[in-house]
Amino acid sequence: MTRSELQQLLARRRVLKGALGGICAHTAGVLGLPVFFGHAAQALAAMPAQNERILVVMELSGGNDGLNTLVPYADDAYYRHRPSIGIKANKLRKIDAHYGFSPGMAGFERLFKDGKLAVIHGAGYDQPSFSHFTSMAYWHTAAPNSGGEYGWVGRLADALQPSGAPNYLVNIDETQSLAVRSAKHTPVVFDDPEKFVRKGFFQQREVFDQAVETGAAQNASQDFLLHVARSAQDASTLVRQAWARYKTPVDYGIYPVDLKKVAALIDAGLPTRLYYVAYRHNAFDTHVHQADLHARQLTYVSDAVNGFMEDLKRIGRAQDVTLLIFSEFGRRVPENTSLGTDHGTANYMFLVGENVKGGHYGKPVSLTQLDAGDNLIHTCDFRRGYATAIEGWMGYAQSEKLLGGKFEAFPVFG
Amino acid sequence: MKSLRFFVGVTLLGLASTAFAAQLGPGPANWTGDLQPIEAKDWSFDRAAHLLERAGFGGTPEEIATLAAVAPQRAVQTLVDYRSIDNSHLQPFDESGVWDDALDPFPVSRPATTDQAKGQGEALGVQLKPTGNRRMQPVVNRFFYWLRASRLETNRAAYWWANRMLATHRPLEEKMALFWHGHFATSEEKVRDYRKMLVQLDTFYKHGTGNFRDLVIAVAQDPAMLAFLDAGVNVKGAPNENFAREIMELFTMGVGHYSEKDIREAARAFTGWNYVNLKFVVNADKHDDSDKIVLGQRGPLDGVKVIEVILAQPVTAEFIAAKLYRYFVRDDISPELRSRLGAILRDNNYELKPLLATIFMSRDFYSAPSMGTHIKSPVELVVSTYKKLGLKEVPGVPDFNDVTAALGQQLFRPPTVAGWPQGRSWITPGLLIERGNFARDALFPDITFIPTDRYPVYLTGDEIRAVHEKISMGYDITSATKPVNMDAQGGEMAMSSMVDRDEDFNTRYASYRGWQMAVEKVKPIPRTFGHTDLTGMVEAEKLKNSGEVVDYFLARFLRVPIDDKRRQQLIAFLDRELGTNDIGRAHTYMEEPLRMLVHLILSMPEYQLG
Repeated sequence: MTRSELQQLLARRRVLKGALGGICAHTAGVLGLPVFFGHAAQALAAMPAQNERILVVMELSGGNDGLNTLVPYADDAYYRHRPSIGIKANKLRKIDAHYGFSPGMAGFERLFKDGKLAVIHGAGYDQPSFSHFTSMAYWHTAAPNSGGEYGWVGRLADALQPSGAPNYLVNIDETQSLAVRSAKHTPVVFDDPEKFVRKGFFQQREVFDQAVETGAAQNASQDFLLHVARSAQDASTLVRQAWARYKTPVDYGIYPVDLKKVAALIDAGLPTRLYYVAYRHNAFDTHVHQADLHARQLTYVSDAVNGFMEDLKRIGRAQDVTLLIFSEFGRRVPENTSLGTDHGTANYMFLVGENVKGGHYGKPVSLTQLDAGDNLIHTCDFRRGYATAIEGWMGYAQSEKLLGGKFEAFPVFG
Repeated sequence: MKSLRFFVGVTLLGLASTAFAAQLGPGPANWTGDLQPIEAKDWSFDRAAHLLERAGFGGTPEEIATLAAVAPQRAVQTLVDYRSIDNSHLQPFDESGVWDDALDPFPVSRPATTDQAKGQGEALGVQLKPTGNRRMQPVVNRFFYWLRASRLETNRAAYWWANRMLATHRPLEEKMALFWHGHFATSEEKVRDYRKMLVQLDTFYKHGTGNFRDLVIAVAQDPAMLAFLDAGVNVKGAPNENFAREIMELFTMGVGHYSEKDIREAARAFTGWNYVNLKFVVNADKHDDSDKIVLGQRGPLDGVKVIEVILAQPVTAEFIAAKLYRYFVRDDISPELRSRLGAILRDNNYELKPLLATIFMSRDFYSAPSMGTHIKSPVELVVSTYKKLGLKEVPGVPDFNDVTAALGQQLFRPPTVAGWPQGRSWITPGLLIERGNFARDALFPDITFIPTDRYPVYLTGDEIRAVHEKISMGYDITSATKPVNMDAQGGEMAMSSMVDRDEDFNTRYASYRGWQMAVEKVKPIPRTFGHTDLTGMVEAEKLKNSGEVVDYFLARFLRVPIDDKRRQQLIAFLDRELGTNDIGRAHTYMEEPLRMLVHLILSMPEYQLG
């Protein structure tokens, strides 16, 4: 076979996969494509009105170095602490007389200047933990120095939709994040939408399509598996179809951080209101030779977020979506001897969206008044950022029920 | 249990003894938490199956019967103390020969490589071109060559290991190596040297069921670990905490049993520890030999001494014993049980075999909360599936690495130093479907499979293929390396797509050439298909009708029973596919229907339980 024949074959395979192989099914889905295995018809019937607000949470895993993300270049202390890895002012993308973004973050610079990016300063918590796993668990559960069984996004889902609804929460990842763990909802968790479909023979359909009965498990593990299997039945066809239909000319850059998948599901009109994605695997844990790697990763994030916003405008849903970006801690103020930084404390939280009143929120951290470990002292509890999203955006006024206390929302949404 | 058929199915496997039949399944409620050993009269086929499932990767009915035929004490002993068991049929790793010494030491990044080249006129054994455009291109090509070659060779190493897991006569040796790999987690993604990963695996074989103290010290001095945790930059006057933190937080004690000060002090004790190529070295001039205080112990402590201090803490034995318990038995461990297991490890001076033998012989191990409740990890699932299908080697299609990666656990590439989150984390709606799809791929060969060790499908695979096309057609490098998803109207080009326009070299071209050079050298993975013979199994067991066939396969593959409704569905399905209930009538064409049946069984949520 020649090279071009192989290319054509591969292209055709992709198209075939996209059109579900032209298999004629007894239930054509609402979206007009044949249904393979699944319960698309029932799930789609449960869909609420199309213009409900959506929150997308993006986790930057590993402890993103906030100081080198949005640099306080006007503060000499920054350069004193970071003689080698401090980013020179003339390299930065300045947004005002005090701050500038890392050189590759054209997207964030544009979003800030358009007034669509809110920067919350100094988010952290008392007695901060320097362990990735522990601190991230605190952020996931919104329960610092305590932790909890469910995640804050899971609790938000339970509060907004107390009866539980299929496909309400979507977590794009290899494994379910604690943040979306919910009492009433089974989050839809998948990674590659093209693989989120059951392969099988036509003859097996009848057996596969039997609704999973979640009643009579013999042990807790089996019970859990049966519930997940049910969720898989409800979700997979919808997700698969949404992805197959989705086409975009927008450039999300080299690594979209799964935002394309989110856009595809929003475009398809899924009933999902809470999305959770992550730049995974402690990618931002830059202990050694930080400069190039960190700048590159920030560029990817900036491009992905900017692309996502552009894409939402294109499909006419920009008004309905807000993105919240966080990391489990920042990094130590002084650079270390390996041209990197060690685990730190306070960090920025970012909110991005059409309805965001862009600008600075909260009190900037001090680079001279540091704690005993040369770390930033936080100026607000990170749960204020969560409260901002919960009350100001998702419209659930009693955020204290979800956050274990009253944390004042910032006026990001007016 | 609701289904009598399940019992019948098992007795068909040659165990007529009513004594065995009466003791199927878990023990009574008071066995939970009881570490007393079971007795010979408590032994059964089902419990032997459970033991083999946990201490190994499960077994065929014949293998289980062999284990069930001896007393439980002997069964556990042969599994735990395997040193005298001959394993010589296993071959050493067949190297492709991608390494050469000019690659050592390998710089930490592409910019570090090009900086070195600028400074010294060469790097990685490749010189700069004296004149012309892109003078550094060959150096950067070589950099990417090694990244690709090491990655591909690591995939082959994973295949080699998976084949060992499948074919070994010492299942616990492999199961423990897998455990330690997830515990002392390092990833080739960062280590960037398949050789170091194999050296580390060898360390796990050597000490895996030996003495935990010896193991910790060996791992702390292992080149993969030293590379992964930045030991090389941990030097006197500039200690790097990464190593010390992970040793305490993840490998020995867990959060809450040390202070940040302990970490900083311990970091100093490990200064100067490094590796040269594959050997551990201590650079005395970089080692801080002044006084330190770690966990209350004061002195000119070095790394080994710090490990001794850590092992002397009461919590260490409990931490490790509990983690082993959760891996082999169940997640739910009471503080009291944790303490008792820790005492066993501690009282045996950190020898692991007595603890393992105690666990595998205990009533608790055969109690209801422990049996059929473990969610198989991806590697466990794949290997045990092949085992139960009667395969002797891991098939080349589907690709073992592709499957396990898709399911969330790729050998030699744990996501972080914390290893893989276990238990329920393996299961999401997406992953449950993937597990079923794996079963399908294992039973029905994908004739459109494209081997990913020859075809670049990784993150920037699209780009590599596009570059290849254009270069072959005679485009210049700049044009050939333009990003693929720029639309014709010249849509806004993302910043990240513009950064590698450097006149000294072109990154995308280097990535492509690196791939090409690596693929030239790395031996291909043989793309064999598994020779499943379900017809043979049915005929050997002399099964007469669909009901007996369904029960046989349910017993062969599942560790928990399913309800009668689903069982009837499966029987009805098989009847339909065979066009008859009579196996004798259908035996010339039943392989395909049998495989469809087994696929249905392996797609059940219950199949995830071991």
